[in-house]
Amino acid sequence: MEVLKNLPEMDLMRSEKMTSVQLIIPVESAHRAVSYLGELGLLQFRDLNDDKSPFQRTFVNQVKRCAEMSRKLRFFKDQINKAGLLSSALPTMQPDIDLEALETQLAEHEHELIEMNANSEKLQQTYNEFLEFKMVLQKAGVFLVSGNKSYETTEGIELDDNVYPSDYPESASLLEQATHSGPSNPSGLRFICGIIPKSKILLFERMLFRATRGNLLFNQAPADDLIMDAVSSEMVEKTVFVVFFSGEQARTKILKICEAFGANCYPVPEDFTKQTQITQEVLSRLSELETTLDVGIRHRNAALHTIGFHLTIWMTMVKREKAVFDTLNMLNFDVTKKCLVGEGWCPIFAKPQIQEALQRATFDSNSQVGIIFHVMDAVESPPTYFRTNAFTNAYQEIVDAYGVAKYQEANPAVYTVITFPFLFAVMFGDWGHGICLLIGALILIAREGKLSSQKLGSFMEMLFGGRYVLLLMSLFSIYCGLIYNEFFSVPYHIFGASAYKCRDKSCSDAYTVGLIKYRDAYPFGVDPSWRGSRSELPFLNSLKMKMSILFGVAQMNLGIMISYLNSIFFNNSLDIRYQFVPQMIFLNSLFGYLSLLIIIKWCTGSQADLYHVMIYMFLSPFDDLGENELFWGQRPLQILLLLSALVAVPWMLFPKPFILRKQHTERFQGRAYGILRSTEMDTDSEPGSARQHVEEFNFSEVFVHQMIHSIEFVLGSVSNTASYLRLWALSLAHSELSTVFYEKVLLLAWGYENILIRLVGLAVFAFATAFILLMMETLSAFLHALRLHWVEFQNKFYGGDGYKFKPFSFAAIADDED
Amino acid sequence: MGFVVTTLVFAAIGILASLCARICCNKGPSANLFHLTLVITATVCCWLMWAIVYLAQMNPLIVPILSEGE
Repeated sequence: MEVLKNLPEMDLMRSEKMTSVQLIIPVESAHRAVSYLGELGLLQFRDLNDDKSPFQRTFVNQVKRCAEMSRKLRFFKDQINKAGLLSSALPTMQPDIDLEALETQLAEHEHELIEMNANSEKLQQTYNEFLEFKMVLQKAGVFLVSGNKSYETTEGIELDDNVYPSDYPESASLLEQATHSGPSNPSGLRFICGIIPKSKILLFERMLFRATRGNLLFNQAPADDLIMDAVSSEMVEKTVFVVFFSGEQARTKILKICEAFGANCYPVPEDFTKQTQITQEVLSRLSELETTLDVGIRHRNAALHTIGFHLTIWMTMVKREKAVFDTLNMLNFDVTKKCLVGEGWCPIFAKPQIQEALQRATFDSNSQVGIIFHVMDAVESPPTYFRTNAFTNAYQEIVDAYGVAKYQEANPAVYTVITFPFLFAVMFGDWGHGICLLIGALILIAREGKLSSQKLGSFMEMLFGGRYVLLLMSLFSIYCGLIYNEFFSVPYHIFGASAYKCRDKSCSDAYTVGLIKYRDAYPFGVDPSWRGSRSELPFLNSLKMKMSILFGVAQMNLGIMISYLNSIFFNNSLDIRYQFVPQMIFLNSLFGYLSLLIIIKWCTGSQADLYHVMIYMFLSPFDDLGENELFWGQRPLQILLLLSALVAVPWMLFPKPFILRKQHTERFQGRAYGILRSTEMDTDSEPGSARQHVEEFNFSEVFVHQMIHSIEFVLGSVSNTASYLRLWALSLAHSELSTVFYEKVLLLAWGYENILIRLVGLAVFAFATAFILLMMETLSAFLHALRLHWVEFQNKFYGGDGYKFKPFSFAAIADDED
Repeated sequence: MGFVVTTLVFAAIGILASLCARICCNKGPSANLFHLTLVITATVCCWLMWAIVYLAQMNPLIVPILSEGE
């Protein structure tokens, strides 16, 4: 035990030592100090203003200003995206821009942009109207000419110059000045021209017909181009219409209906020359507007371009400032209102760096008073911090997904680095598939630099994050594949000739009685003669089931040993004596004994039935073993182990709660008199004082907790051992799937002479291997190996109820946003 | 090769691997202990796998019976 205590600390085994610290910062250097600490990223601030609402905090105005600035920046980003420009960030780091200057700059830019947008919108609207007018002139002109002629001949009345005012509300048309409702002949035939979306034309016509009681003539023609509809702002097909009617009432009705249907009416002169004149004017206005619009867009794009250069830098700056002010909000003003007081956690190794950063902040802000940074005691337990590198990070995240380790308890990730890929490989074992996984993992690692800076989809991101896990998984899969002797389910004689041969030269009874073993066992892995034989499955099943039990018992013993290491570290001799020892005894006297029997049976080749051995060990331990005897002294040994297991159960159940109660009363017996004497002193309670308040010792709660823990262990030892049989199940499934695809797809297709069938078979085999075996089976084996670690391995020792160290860091904010 | 010989081979490979790890990435005592743990765990896992499969085939109770069409 002394040796274990004197071993050097292992990296990643236990959380970094943390300490609770207090900072007292004068106000003038506060902002700078927090910024420097953010760059360092090794201090986690505690929120001292938890009970205040966001609006009661000190720096709420600054936070609001930062939020406003980030809104403006988001608006710029939107505009840049809408304009379709690529934002190219200038790589050079600019000197620190003052926040106030940035604020005014952003306000200016925003104002400018909004103005430009409004102007171009107006222009665009006018342009659309003129476009519509042009189309109306084109089409309606045809009707009017013909109509004119026909009415002149039939009615014989000279039609007045009927140019009608357009009634649409949003009109800014300059041509309206040229048109004014002249004194129109009340009884003459008049017309209205306009344009309406094609989808509404039928209803429109019917409505007009009803309104005027059939006294109208309606002509329509579809417009040539698509026009931007102002209401829905998308390109729609429109139809030009001309309505001939008589009477003033009809006119008002028609105009109202036009307005209701969203049809735009335009004044079209009847006279042909006037039509051509107006058409010319409209065309010239259109070209003018086009150029104006173009210029406007180019101007806006130039402005956006200059903004785009600085956009990422500005966004980072604003995010940082907001984070700094949020952190400043967590600090308290002290009594004199000249200093800010903050509390937090930091790792002990980081203390010199933090002190250096604080000194720099004092110097840079020309403050007279230095920042005070000292260690403080805390009541709550510290956060857990593991310093991981790119390789161990994925494993630590796998462990953390189940639960973050309590402060300074043993970290299962140390062993998970190897056992997790190994157990995956036991379930996946095929060195052909392993090589495919290896290629994938190597590709991901080779393009590490490029992929880490890109933004990946969520699936790709997970795959990329676990590239080292994938690498180890593939290496172990190749190893296990060599042991199972499966290359896409085909065995090879890599390690020498098989140990089996026919009994005689004719191999006549190879199909009935089988081969015989004439040499030593195959030196590495499963003998290739087994593949395809009728007794393959009984042999492999027996092998793999026993293998699963052996691995299971080994890993569970490792778990209990780690709990022993924990007890030594926390100086908890009670746990060692009344938890570790009975657990070891119970597990090993039952399942350790089973593992021993398995190994003895293999070594001696006995025909004993291990199921019966184990069952009769419980049911009738004193009976004669008969043919189930594997070694001399088995019966007394079994009786002894059974008794130890039975003794171990109350051993782990009863003593601990009673001893805890005795300890508790001893500890507070002396304290009881002290409390009577100094009741006045109890009222002072500094924040973060380390004084332990007297806890109630609830004996029944402790006893029930211990009982649950013991029962969980006892029952769990059976269920967990059986749970490891999934190693057998999944490896059997993988092997069978692989065999099926090989024999029933590839070999079948290859049997035909036709090249096309062979190619199709090859393709189906490749697809099936890639999707079902490489993707689905990988995920499945990954999941089950994960479950074995999280439940069967970790419930022997892991607490997992800590919280993670989240330092105030600018790097973390940048990652968060993405 | 027998069981013992191959076990010794595994042990030798394990020692070799830990030496390589110590030579290649010597980053202080705590990191070294961590690397050593990883190498030992990997060696033990691989040896266990091989040993189980080897022991199971040393004295088998059944033999391969070829199926029709072999």
